[in-house]
Amino acid sequence: MMPQLVTVQVKRPDHRAIRIWVPVLPVVLVLSPVMVLAVLGAAVACLVFGISLVHALGTGWRIVSALPGTRVDVEYSRTAVLVSIQ
Amino acid sequence: MNEPRKDVLDMLVEGKITAEEAERLLVALERDQSPAASRLEPRPKGRAKYLRLEMEFLEDGESGRLNVRVPLQLLRAGVQLVALIPPRALDRANAELVKAGVPIDLTQLKPAQLEALVEHLDETTVELEAPDGHLRVFCE
Repeated sequence: MMPQLVTVQVKRPDHRAIRIWVPVLPVVLVLSPVMVLAVLGAAVACLVFGISLVHALGTGWRIVSALPGTRVDVEYSRTAVLVSIQ
Repeated sequence: MNEPRKDVLDMLVEGKITAEEAERLLVALERDQSPAASRLEPRPKGRAKYLRLEMEFLEDGESGRLNVRVPLQLLRAGVQLVALIPPRALDRANAELVKAGVPIDLTQLKPAQLEALVEHLDETTVELEAPDGHLRVFCE
């Protein structure tokens, strides 16, 4: 299943916290023209380097589908950043 | 000696199977014949779902912490990328590795082997301790 929500949380030294929820599907829809161009670019690259386009797209989709559950939490001094993909 | 064991040993004597194959067959027969013993084996743990990396460090007097959780499914998908590396790039990488004194043939790296490696990460725990921090990698 593709990611549904990306949460980004930033805690600053002044104890203020910013939390952003990014719904993935609407963002993908908004960026769909760019994504079509990216897929076309990837197709050309696959042809140039002799890679199976179907295999490349399949692998890309598998990676995107495996992203939910990923969480990166970095804290240094009094600043903290959390990125979570659901 | 029971009949199945005798059959295996006969096949070994006749050269139909190798010694290793005979050993595997005998072990399998023993396992089948002792269900009570197998009931005593510990129940296998649930499969790990995530690879975790925890690091705490001290830099310029400030403490830091890194906590990463990556689904093992992502690693499994990632190893498929190996099959997408163009042969030309692999040849170049091999040449550079030889130059650097690391003669590893990357063309021999198969996704299936890497997947098997990921499958067996479940029980792995790596811990590094240093005066200014520590690192722990494990699966959960």
